[in-house]
Amino acid sequence: MFRTLKKFFDFCAEKERKQFYLSIFLGVFNALFIAMRIPAVYVVIKALLEGGLSKKTAYTAAGIIAASIVLQTAVSMKTTMLQTRGGYNTASFKRMEIAEHLRYVPMGYFNSEGLGKVTSIATNTMENLSGIATRCVMVVTKGIITTLVIIASMFVFNWKIALVALGTMIVYLIGTELMIRAERSDSDGATKAQDKMVARILEYVRGIAEIRNFDLFGRSITDVDPAIDDFTDYSTHLETTYEIAMFLLSTLNKLSGVVMMLMSIAFYLNGSMSLVYAVTMIICSFMIFESLDQVGAFNGLTRTIENCVDKANDALSSPTMDIDGKEISPESMTLTVRDVDFSYDTKKIIDGVSFEIPERTTAAFVGPSGGGKTTITQLLARFWDVDKGQILLGGKDIREYSYDSLMKNFAFVFQNVYLFSDTVENNIRFGRPEASREEVIEAAKAACCHDMIMALPDGYDTVIGEGGASLSGGERQRVSIARAIMKNAPIIILDEATANVDPENEELLMKAVDSLTKERTVIMIAHRLKTVENADQIFVIDRGRIAQHGRHEELMKEKGIYKRYISERKEAAGWKLGSRS
Amino acid sequence: MKTVETKENAPSQPVLNQNTFSWLWEFTKGKRSTYLVSVVLALLGVACILLTYICLADLIRELISGGKDMHFYVQRGLQIGILWVLRYAFHGFSTYSSHGATFGLIGNARKKLLKKLGTMPLGAVQTRSSGEYKNIICDRADQVEPTLAHVVPEFTANIVGAVAMFVYMMHIDWRVGLWQLICIPAGLVAFGIMMSSTPKYYPNTIKKTKALNSTAVEYIGGIEVIKAFGQSRTSYGKFVKAAKEGADCFIDWMQSQNFWHNFGMACFPATMLGLLPSGVRYCLNGSLAPADLIVLIILSFGTVAPLVTVFSYMDDISKVGEIISDMADVMDEKDMVRPEKSSAQPKDHSISLRDVHFSYKDTEVLHGIDMEISDGTVNALVGPSGSGKSTIARLIASLWDVDKGQILIGGVDIRDMPLSEYNRHIAYVSQENYLFDLSVMDNIRMGRDGASDEEVIEAAKRCGCHDFIMSLENGYQTICGGSGGHLSGGERQRIAIARAMLKDAPIVILDEATSYTDPESEAVIQNSLSRLTAGKTLIVIAHRLSTIAGADRIFLIHNGDVEASGTQAELLEKSPLYRSMWESHIAARKEEA
Repeated sequence: MFRTLKKFFDFCAEKERKQFYLSIFLGVFNALFIAMRIPAVYVVIKALLEGGLSKKTAYTAAGIIAASIVLQTAVSMKTTMLQTRGGYNTASFKRMEIAEHLRYVPMGYFNSEGLGKVTSIATNTMENLSGIATRCVMVVTKGIITTLVIIASMFVFNWKIALVALGTMIVYLIGTELMIRAERSDSDGATKAQDKMVARILEYVRGIAEIRNFDLFGRSITDVDPAIDDFTDYSTHLETTYEIAMFLLSTLNKLSGVVMMLMSIAFYLNGSMSLVYAVTMIICSFMIFESLDQVGAFNGLTRTIENCVDKANDALSSPTMDIDGKEISPESMTLTVRDVDFSYDTKKIIDGVSFEIPERTTAAFVGPSGGGKTTITQLLARFWDVDKGQILLGGKDIREYSYDSLMKNFAFVFQNVYLFSDTVENNIRFGRPEASREEVIEAAKAACCHDMIMALPDGYDTVIGEGGASLSGGERQRVSIARAIMKNAPIIILDEATANVDPENEELLMKAVDSLTKERTVIMIAHRLKTVENADQIFVIDRGRIAQHGRHEELMKEKGIYKRYISERKEAAGWKLGSRS
Repeated sequence: MKTVETKENAPSQPVLNQNTFSWLWEFTKGKRSTYLVSVVLALLGVACILLTYICLADLIRELISGGKDMHFYVQRGLQIGILWVLRYAFHGFSTYSSHGATFGLIGNARKKLLKKLGTMPLGAVQTRSSGEYKNIICDRADQVEPTLAHVVPEFTANIVGAVAMFVYMMHIDWRVGLWQLICIPAGLVAFGIMMSSTPKYYPNTIKKTKALNSTAVEYIGGIEVIKAFGQSRTSYGKFVKAAKEGADCFIDWMQSQNFWHNFGMACFPATMLGLLPSGVRYCLNGSLAPADLIVLIILSFGTVAPLVTVFSYMDDISKVGEIISDMADVMDEKDMVRPEKSSAQPKDHSISLRDVHFSYKDTEVLHGIDMEISDGTVNALVGPSGSGKSTIARLIASLWDVDKGQILIGGVDIRDMPLSEYNRHIAYVSQENYLFDLSVMDNIRMGRDGASDEEVIEAAKRCGCHDFIMSLENGYQTICGGSGGHLSGGERQRIAIARAMLKDAPIVILDEATSYTDPESEAVIQNSLSRLTAGKTLIVIAHRLSTIAGADRIFLIHNGDVEASGTQAELLEKSPLYRSMWESHIAARKEEA
């Protein structure tokens, strides 16, 4: 438990950590003020048993309690705010840290699933943490400190009884720790059962179309019930351990209270303690462990905190690149690749590739899927860093550029278009934030999407994306092209899309691509015959190497992948589903 | 279905509607007796506490009246010790059975939700991403457990316990019993003021949290675009602002109610404030025995403090309501009503749509479609995006039910056939091809239960995927992995087509626009599709008009109506819309060819 708290405090930033520490320190005072009940009770009992009961006794007791309420309120107002700030700000700063971290992670690193995970950590996990951590730190520290303060004041009355109380508390805390450990080893099984259940459920949910289509109900693959039952059993079993531990710990507290009570009576009977003290001690022995019990009850939550912290640290552990180079304006836009190797997960993707793309020429990359052509185009724009060799822009290694000054030279059109939930105008303007409305419209016209945008309910002010107007695949493509045109970068990296384009958009899309690529260096993953044929150079990439290189006419004369590829493309473009009647 | 695992609309206003409760009540079926046991055990625990205090009172009275017999005290001490042991044993068993019941309950809820996904329209299933389902069925369902399991024993023990102690105190001296409550009005006022600020601050936290979440989703989801456009600094700035505001709104809320919250928390359990002075007064006038006052002091620890514990659960309970209502939303989806056995057999594989209307989220998207598709013909659905052509295909595939009108197969209304039987007639080929975490062999075999290995291989060969399967590490025994992880998009798709081939359904629906996940293997996939569709009743949602130029019948869909139908030649003649689409397509084609 202390380890988890420590882990959490380490996780916090300096300022928040100090806030938590201060709140713990103030907690001591708070505990003292809560414990003021004891002197109040003591005053009354003393007067009751030793005589001298008067109205003054009543006033004194009431005064002490009233003061206790006022002081408690004052101190806990301070601690509550310290802990609230500490908890929520920690979550908030971690979110920022994750966001900052992402700026340095190689762009190619994340697939959509990985990004989904990080998003979930930055939102759900941190939300969970901010609420639970605040509460947990409050209860645990308050419980321990209050108990310690009461024990300390018991030393004033009788050190032997106080020792028993102290001993009990130590055993209790050790017991809690043991319980956490026992749970941890026990929870391995439960975690496995849970992982299995989640995997089975996900498989079922993702495959539901097939399951229904092929009527797979009742087959073992769709039978998730045993996995669910298994997890239920494990959870119940885990709960048993927990209940037994809680039973032992609570009983320990109460029985120790009974022992303390009997000790007080014995000391009174043998004359070493006054009746007043004995009665006060009996009362103490009944209330002493009530806040300690809360500590045990919050144990489950410490595990959640630990999980949250681990997840966030995990998100921050992905590799980063050094992107703080110099501000450089390249002398030319010539891209040179020299003997580049690149591996991903020990699998070699690019293997000793060298080539040059001169300014204002078009380079087309073709080849089988998984051959490495996408990776090559990504390396050119430093989505990753190469393992060996180097890539130069205008004669300078791209790693010498600061990331932003390198990116200024590139515009991208990706296969999967990402548009922000913002107005169409702002989405296009994203390419150049200072652009005027007229410039945005001009770019939209060049990308053949002006008419389509004007037909939207609020024209350029229409919000797209979630909760807004939805655009078809081809329309999104064209908006993304307008965005790239807006950026007016000298090098265009383009993944030519064939899927998800609606027929009436096809021609417009091609026109849009034309206006984007005019007079620029174009690097494209090409699928259309015409674009391939017109390219200044064609690279056929297969198994991480350049299998063929040249112009269309040259390559058509060679026997090889390219020729086969072209004939397949022609066949595909001319595919017909014939009539049968 | 997307796999992004976020709950994009984080905390929404807890909707504890009637429906949530009735659904929850419905779910406790079969576990209600266990919960009852839990309550009874908790009550026994409470009885033990009460007995403990009675013993204690007895002991105190003896002590103050000067009893010197240690045996008596030890005896009472033992009794108290045993009662405590019993109390925690009862409490433990109560909590244990409540947990057991709740785990079982959640397990049942999971099973019911999964079963529901099999009976509601598939289209409705697919309106949520698999990540959302995982969230509802797995993650958030787990979060419900601790609260639900504790509510029963804790509420029983704490509320009944507090009331029992109070009654016992009233029995000893009703005046002091009432006096101890003197702080409660102050505490209630404090909490009341605190609650009254909720409508002012709560919506703001919701708003800011939502804003934060959507900023995070955009920033992380769009990180590629952000970096590529050199906007990471600006976008990061936006994110930082949202993150700060997300924390500040809670801090501000806490700040605003800071005094009342802490004052209330200090006030509520301060029973001594009224108890001590009043007790002293009654002792002075002789109407209360000193021993009784001491007993009352001890008892008062057990009256209000437990109620505060109950309060701390209130927050969690509203969260549970929120989660449960998410589940209820899924459970409330309309089921597809299908008979156990079909009343008639389709005479052939022709398809008729008669006056089909369909609305999606209150907007009618199809306004009375009539179509006749003859057995064994090639038919194309064409039209601008958003025209409704995909919806028609999905209705024929029985992904949704029509709102009005009917769809007939071989003269039989598709709603008169069980889904499983109907599915045997239809193969729906789209981009979403899920391969299960099984061998390639078993994945293809799903097409037809009981197909032999030879038949599977035969289907694979006909789809042109035998060679690449053989080149895999373990050939047909290669495990596809979740979502077919180790295979390329094109390879996955070919396996899925082989599976459909094995199924040999007489009607094939093909969504061309989304059919090629992988342009490099387009030609190969087309070849397999040609084989798959040969001799079948075929419906193509066409993307390239040249593909279906030779179709027997082309249906031009526009704004939810069939605008025209006929062969290519007929449509070119009578439909200006078709003509313009064709010309645009040809222009694009010419560029290519």
